[in-house]
Amino acid sequence: MSNKFKPDVQNVVSFSLMGPESGGLMNVDSNDGKITRIRPYFYDQEYVQKNCNPWTMEARGSTFTPPNRVLTTHFGLGYKSRVYSKNRVRYPLKRVDWDPKGERNPQNRGKSKYVRISWDEAAQICADELVRMKETYGPEAVLCESDMHGEGKNVAPSHGCPNRLLSLMGGYTLQMRNMDSWEGWYWGAKHVWGCEPVGEMAPQANLVPDMAKHCDSLLYWGCDPEVTPLGFGMHLPSRLCFWFSELGIKSIFICPDLNYAAAVHADKWIPVLPNTDAALQLAIAYLWLKEETYDKEYIAQHTYGFDKFVDYVMGGEDGVPKTPEWASEKCGVPVYTIKALARHWAKRTVSILHGNGGSFIRGPYSSEPARLEIMLLGMRGLGKPGVHQTKMIEWNMWAKDFPVPFTPVKPVAMPHICDALRPIKGDLPDEINMKRFVLTPEQQEKVPELVELFKQLPAPTQFIPRCLVHKAIVDGHAEWYGMHMFSTSQVPDKNNFRQPTNKFQFEKIVYPRPGQSRVHMIWTDAPCNVTCWNHGNLFVEAYQHPSIETIVAQHPWMENDCYFADIILPVATKHEMNDLGNDFSSGVFQSIYLERPCCEPIGESLSDFDVCVKVAEKLGPEYVRAYTGGGLTEEDRVRFFYKATGCEDTMSWEEFQKRKVFVIPCKPDAQEVPAGLYNFYKDPKGNPLTTPTGLLEYSSTDIEKYMPDDPERPPVPHWVEKSETHDERLSSERAKKYPLLCMSNHGRWRVHAQCDDIVWNREVETMKIRGKDGYQYEPVWLNPKEAEKRGIKHGDIVKVFNERGIVLCGAYVTERLNTQTCYVDHGARLDPIIPGWLDRGGCINSITPTGMTSKNCTGMATSGFLVDVQKVTDEEMEGWKRDYPEAFARKVDYASGVCLEGWLIDADKEGI
Amino acid sequence: MGKVFYVDVARCTGCYNCQLACKDEHCGNDWTPYAKPQPEIGQFWCKLEEHVCGTMPKVKIHYISKPCNHCRNAPCMAAAKDGAVYRRDDGLVIIDPEKAVGQKQIVDACPYGAIYWNEELQLPQKCTGCAHLLDNGEKLPRCVEACPTDALRFGEEEELKDLIQGATVMSPELGLHPRVYYRNIPGKFIAGTVYDPETQEIIEGARCHLSNGAKNWDVYTDDFGDFWFRDLDVGTYTLRITAPGYEQQMFENLNTAQDINVGDIAMKKA
Repeated sequence: MSNKFKPDVQNVVSFSLMGPESGGLMNVDSNDGKITRIRPYFYDQEYVQKNCNPWTMEARGSTFTPPNRVLTTHFGLGYKSRVYSKNRVRYPLKRVDWDPKGERNPQNRGKSKYVRISWDEAAQICADELVRMKETYGPEAVLCESDMHGEGKNVAPSHGCPNRLLSLMGGYTLQMRNMDSWEGWYWGAKHVWGCEPVGEMAPQANLVPDMAKHCDSLLYWGCDPEVTPLGFGMHLPSRLCFWFSELGIKSIFICPDLNYAAAVHADKWIPVLPNTDAALQLAIAYLWLKEETYDKEYIAQHTYGFDKFVDYVMGGEDGVPKTPEWASEKCGVPVYTIKALARHWAKRTVSILHGNGGSFIRGPYSSEPARLEIMLLGMRGLGKPGVHQTKMIEWNMWAKDFPVPFTPVKPVAMPHICDALRPIKGDLPDEINMKRFVLTPEQQEKVPELVELFKQLPAPTQFIPRCLVHKAIVDGHAEWYGMHMFSTSQVPDKNNFRQPTNKFQFEKIVYPRPGQSRVHMIWTDAPCNVTCWNHGNLFVEAYQHPSIETIVAQHPWMENDCYFADIILPVATKHEMNDLGNDFSSGVFQSIYLERPCCEPIGESLSDFDVCVKVAEKLGPEYVRAYTGGGLTEEDRVRFFYKATGCEDTMSWEEFQKRKVFVIPCKPDAQEVPAGLYNFYKDPKGNPLTTPTGLLEYSSTDIEKYMPDDPERPPVPHWVEKSETHDERLSSERAKKYPLLCMSNHGRWRVHAQCDDIVWNREVETMKIRGKDGYQYEPVWLNPKEAEKRGIKHGDIVKVFNERGIVLCGAYVTERLNTQTCYVDHGARLDPIIPGWLDRGGCINSITPTGMTSKNCTGMATSGFLVDVQKVTDEEMEGWKRDYPEAFARKVDYASGVCLEGWLIDADKEGI
Repeated sequence: MGKVFYVDVARCTGCYNCQLACKDEHCGNDWTPYAKPQPEIGQFWCKLEEHVCGTMPKVKIHYISKPCNHCRNAPCMAAAKDGAVYRRDDGLVIIDPEKAVGQKQIVDACPYGAIYWNEELQLPQKCTGCAHLLDNGEKLPRCVEACPTDALRFGEEEELKDLIQGATVMSPELGLHPRVYYRNIPGKFIAGTVYDPETQEIIEGARCHLSNGAKNWDVYTDDFGDFWFRDLDVGTYTLRITAPGYEQQMFENLNTAQDINVGDIAMKKA
């Protein structure tokens, strides 16, 4: 008899939700074909000590030793709840009143329910629609909404499989991801210091050991290392923060909220109003200039345009000196604290830390605080020991040498089957290498079996930036600057050099392109625009637009944009399939690992890859052959991908199948590489930046040349009170009606739209608040003073609203938030009561600004916007229940929230 | 001797991994004879408590992880009939899920609120220390294994003696001799910022003198004008702030039942 206390099968599966990288690994135990438990993965100490050069860091007499395991997060631990979620799409679905041969009822998307159909019928409908689109309008009438993030999978990725299929139709329109995690860095900071690919400091080598040795203070500016890294990396940042404190380094947090890291690591919290950091930064520059406490010699040698910057800061340009008094009114930080911060910083060695930017870098005009940050660092001698911008996430992404010394002795090229964000042919010159997801010449030679699979299929023929998709659909037309590429995909040369791409930011693009059709069909494998992107309610309008004849979604869970789809195809989670995983960023070691199914696929779900095979089969055998690269199975792909990594030279396939994990040895001399921009600091002429002058540009020469009169992003960064694009300040007329600045960050308990349904997380009060009606509402944080003004008590059902709509939330009254502010994490699942206007799920992005970062910066502004919060009266709620009985009758699970059953036509009516 | 838990509150980031790993192990999994399945939601065999202290911007948070205390003098054992709660040789206290059916008094006996009533099974339920795993070769209960910062430890009393020496337990006055030891649970704080309203400058080095009548403390404001008195007992305090050239400021009857942010203190020129 088997021992039920021991697992029948033990697998390793990743827990990162970043995609394309799989991320940190965990042990998953199964019994009787069902997942029993999910646990941290412990490295084989004997093996790694002998083979993998484990690293340590030394500073000030203290040694930091990395943990013996992968430090998993609650996302990984709770994933069983996600695999078996009541919200899983279990079989193909069709919207009940959508008839591809008759009435399509686009206006009912988001309202009407679904019926189960067979895989055969679903695949045939999809294939027929693709053919019809191609014949009627041209293949580009199909918009592919694909992206990154999602479960990290390689042989059958979460994102990009539909792109492969649509390529075979002869092209498509691509939804190009705007630089959502890096908006301000990309549109602003890049014009100060180059720093391809996204405008965050590069190179990042050895920043953490260098800070540990040299810093007196760290500014965690809008940074939450206890939140942002969790969905992608793991908890190593927590341990690093503790180490910095043990070393006597002062931790200063500048953010509107006492965020989760500030809660436990802060020595000092300076609450700033959302999206007013630029005012605070300008006042700091003002004081340093006035008191002559900046590094003049460095400025003389390393910068261009400093005089123009000084002219603006001191008030020469506009007659307004950017004094602490001037700033205090805007940013809400007392004058004496601004002065103290400026002087504290001037006397000490200080680095700035980020998660990636979070709300700090996603507000209106985010190019400005981003640029100002680099300029402040420049005034302190950027690049000298202890003077850096450092991030606690994505340590591996664009650095050859990492900020934490787990750099591999030899980088492993991990094959990944799909490329969701390919540029349009002809948009970029050949020297910008965007072929990130192809086989290297060595791999082609080593694994000829994969050559056909990785053959580049035709590229999309036009694109729309994701932040403009809704407007483009509704208006039938859109114009913007840049976004020709998702810049992180640029492959560096062997010296880790990436071509500068700033000038593309000034090229105008028009949709539809000449001779090409507008969009009439959408295929999405990233159905989260309503809750992750700008002005989600406008996405609802776009999805209901009569020009959109067909929407297909493929996804494991019934959520968000799925409610607007006409056909929904069920996808298996990674715990249900074979894969070759890669953990490149969790920070102790890099590793490659073999993922085996922990349970059977739920219902009739298939991998993303096989979902598209189903449709390809209906299109014809030539499509199947081209799509699958000659018929390679999932097993084949895992086997050959391992071969392509080159790890087989060290660990045979047979041994790898037994051990399941190959830990990549660390570079033993990793810490000898100079930290960050040290070489530029020492010799700016010999080691120029990739800006046009090679220097730190306090006035951007590119902006001077191409857009000198842009008031929203002028050559020298400015404080922009309001403009034609945004009117989202407390000084606005609008603030009389909407007097709170809403901030929105990455969620502690979600990775963007992912993991809103982990029942055990939903019991944590900062994740959900159960209202008196039993429904679990998304918390909106309010300072007790603001709550009191409105008669709101902790736990009340409240509405967060502006002209763009109403979002119902649960009041979380807390001293952790500034006054004049409210805070809702982004990514809660939509639960539409009036689609496009009233949401019960707490999907705050439904009411974020339509306007982009600024008029010429094609990004999104999803934090720091005006709203009000008011209590929902019983009468008001009863009114909605009376007027929208069907929406309230949809089944909502007491523990996991919105669920599949609520959207099935034949389900019982069990609303909360 | 026997097993003990050790919790270092200063190393806890509030990630809730302990609470969640416990649920992953016990919700929906039947570990009879150690425990029946924990309901999907509503029970917290290992509960993380969040404590938000102070007012903006002098706010601190700490989290306290609370598994069952596995008391050496366990009131649940005394309350149980038919030996429905028993102590193992390793010290872990287990509710027998067969014998304990219907014995709601076991829930009420626990002064720590660590035992839950399962309405459906009519069963008192609680933390088992993951005894079913320990008996099958594992070294740690799930909550401890999942802790990313080593704030939680578990092991033989002898092995952890240096850590638990001088550590505290929950409600020691009850005399139940818990097997869960805590360090670094913060006491109360009194904090504030001192500044000159005329010059709009903070005052660095201002002397902040605190007294509760029996004891006195002195700290000096830092370069943000901030002062912090930490780890205070609950009581009534008097605070006097002095700085050369300024009139002294007194704050009396500061009661630390709650942590206190005295606020931004405007000093008058003498």
